[in-house]
Amino acid sequence: MDNEKKNEDKGMTRRDFAKSLVVGGAVGAIGMMGLYSYGPWRKKHFAKVEPKQIDIGECKSIKIINISETSWFDNKVLMGDIKGAGGLLVNQYEYNWPPFSDIKGKLGKGSYETGIKHIKQYLPNNLEKAWQFQMENAVHPENAGGYACLIDVELLDGSHKKILLDSGWAYNWMDECFKREGIDKMLMKKEIDFLVISHEHFDHFWGLPVTIKYYPDITIYVPEGFYPEGKQYLKDSGHRGKVITTKPGLTPIFPGCALFTFAIPIICRVYGEESLYFNVKDKGLVCVTGCCHQSIIQFATTGRNTIKFKKLYGVYGGLHISPFEDWDPKYDDLVIAFKNYDFEKVGCNHCTGIVTAKKFIEAGYPVVKGTARFRSKDTAYLGNGDIIEF
Amino acid sequence: MEEKTEKRYGEGYLEERILIPRWRAPWPQIVNIILILAVFYISWWIFQDRRGWLRMYTPYLGYMYTRWILIVLIWMVYIFEFWPFRRRQLETWHPLWKGFIMTCVMTGVLLILIKVFFEGILGNFSMAYFNPARSMKLPGITEFFAVEYASLACLMFAAIASWLSPSWPVAMENAPWQNLKQPVLGWTVLIVTFFIGTIVYLCTMHPHMGILYYPWQRFASIAPPYWEKFANTVSGNFHVSWIMCCTITVWLYETIWERYPFKLIKHDTLRRLSAFFGIIAIAWCFFFFLHFAQELWWGPAIRGTRMDFSPDWRWLHVGETMVFFLIPALFLTFYCNNWPTKYSAPVNWLIRTLIAIFGGMAIYWIYYNIGHLTLGTQKGYAQPEQFPMIPTIWLINIMLINHWFMDNWPGWRKAKPEEVALIRKEKSPAVSVAKFAPAGIIVGIVIGIIIYFIAIWLFPILGKLKWVYT
Repeated sequence: MDNEKKNEDKGMTRRDFAKSLVVGGAVGAIGMMGLYSYGPWRKKHFAKVEPKQIDIGECKSIKIINISETSWFDNKVLMGDIKGAGGLLVNQYEYNWPPFSDIKGKLGKGSYETGIKHIKQYLPNNLEKAWQFQMENAVHPENAGGYACLIDVELLDGSHKKILLDSGWAYNWMDECFKREGIDKMLMKKEIDFLVISHEHFDHFWGLPVTIKYYPDITIYVPEGFYPEGKQYLKDSGHRGKVITTKPGLTPIFPGCALFTFAIPIICRVYGEESLYFNVKDKGLVCVTGCCHQSIIQFATTGRNTIKFKKLYGVYGGLHISPFEDWDPKYDDLVIAFKNYDFEKVGCNHCTGIVTAKKFIEAGYPVVKGTARFRSKDTAYLGNGDIIEF
Repeated sequence: MEEKTEKRYGEGYLEERILIPRWRAPWPQIVNIILILAVFYISWWIFQDRRGWLRMYTPYLGYMYTRWILIVLIWMVYIFEFWPFRRRQLETWHPLWKGFIMTCVMTGVLLILIKVFFEGILGNFSMAYFNPARSMKLPGITEFFAVEYASLACLMFAAIASWLSPSWPVAMENAPWQNLKQPVLGWTVLIVTFFIGTIVYLCTMHPHMGILYYPWQRFASIAPPYWEKFANTVSGNFHVSWIMCCTITVWLYETIWERYPFKLIKHDTLRRLSAFFGIIAIAWCFFFFLHFAQELWWGPAIRGTRMDFSPDWRWLHVGETMVFFLIPALFLTFYCNNWPTKYSAPVNWLIRTLIAIFGGMAIYWIYYNIGHLTLGTQKGYAQPEQFPMIPTIWLINIMLINHWFMDNWPGWRKAKPEEVALIRKEKSPAVSVAKFAPAGIIVGIVIGIIIYFIAIWLFPILGKLKWVYT
């Protein structure tokens, strides 16, 4: 009887001990979560990332001609389409936007296949006809503009390399802009070394046939992540040259110039973006972007960690902060943090947003103002036809 | 007796309801999973999917309705205890009919709340941002963003309500009004939680909305918000996150933890207050830890960036991650009778918690690897317009409707009166947890600390593996 009682007591003790162990474990683990996880001491656990700075060489200077930064002309119309189609994650090929409209295309009911069949035979040499179809059938074709710029790089030996960054959206608008800035002739004379498509978005990529019309075998760089429709459009546009798909990470192109590809998700079902770094002698690193969905802070930080250069010097392009003149407090984080990067020249436009440009100016950043010509809306940033030099 | 039942509303219905599986395990669970996933996918296609019919995943519009559905369900069941439905109706109606009627009521309450209270009353008489039509009168605000901003404000309110609404009945045990009858009790708790929720909203979310407009609304809100230095962001996602952690902790406490450890406190007021504030304290522990886990996994956040390095997203992702853990926890409680139950309460608690953690991690992995193929979302982490809380809460809403309104139909049925007595007799008494061995607790604390450091040692190693799209 005594033994039985003893065993029972022992059993109880073991059981109590197990229970206590669990309770103590929970207190210990949860307590540490609260006490340790947000204190300054946690930082010693962060992996030490040694920057692997690659020497991409130097160039003497760069000049950027803003061919077009007005991707769309009426923000309300664009946002109306986005709202009507179902929001910011809707696949861009489904909008029935030009140039992929079906006959009497309904908003949000299209596809690449139903759109391209109506214009494929006109690409790239009869773009007027292709666009005429869009004017008659697409959803708000009059609102389409596009983003493109020409980067003229002077190398240390005095020779030049020319890069076309993006090819815009509307065929008629981009052709008009190309002619205005003499890009058409440069392409025809093969003075432009290659085309960089920053990402698959409609306003940067869908105007591709306009470039192809003048220079069908131009080399094109695209970031990894294009969807099948985008890859097919490269072919359907009549392109006969080389397509180089850049993997995530740094791709040096020529002395003083490198591409960096970011594997990132982007609205309207797009994935991946590439942007350009230029290391300008005696000045520093210039970051040139299409839309910079990765964010300019990420782009600058990545530059610091991957490239040898003197200092961060300049920025040009869309900085993707308030592209639709919308706002979110997290964009204020960017405006506030931007001062830590100490850029000396900021040439922003396009998806940076006018609100952001104004906030940058109010914060005292060296924003280069524009002239608001050729349908650009505000002098707060560089407009169509404006030039910036670094 | 019958007359008494007839006059009762749903007080005690969930606690007293005994559900009997129709078939041997795991068939009821499998059948219900299939049904729930089918309803989830069909309703997702109808309401949310960008390729579907109504395409409400804009994202904030669909996000807002998803969150408020959850709150209205909690109100109907936990605060109003099914009022105005009668106990007899709850017991005799077919689960399908009950589910249909109650979902209709839920929808009606939802629309009244959004369209009348937020848009009509608050949007017209207090803060314009609740009403898209008023916001659109401001220069430069498009209809799309007017709707998105209004939805954002409503869903931020919902985040707070999703914490406070269940907290009062679960942690505070409806005190000091626990003896009131329905619907007086329901209205009282609703008004109290809504009042506290409004104060929390004004202190945590309104400053976010105040700097959403250009220029900052310095006269109408604190700008920049007071949490900027601490949280490394001016975004209100910081608050959304810890509040979501509180919400999930309330449900873990109510379901797989069976209201332990605060249940052990005998003194009523002390127990209630300890539970209410203890849940907040535990939630903040999870909140900091999951933020730290991301820092270890991906590297520290960089202020001003977008996507996965952005501080505001990192905070938000803490709340998103917590919801992933809630799904297996609810499944265990609703469909597995809170398995296991044969050990002492702390051991049961530990096993269930481990299941919730690993189950949540599995669902997280599935979501980020195949979610974009099935739900029409974007692949990869941190797309700013993508919120995993939308599909996860949508799924939870369907599970709640099935469990609360439909008595787990079709895998389960309600026990007949003669079965109820038998089952109650068979039920073993609850295992005592009152006796503890101090040595065990001390050793446990040491082990807990060691486990914590093993976890933070492991995260950077795991983070280097290519698990998902990055």
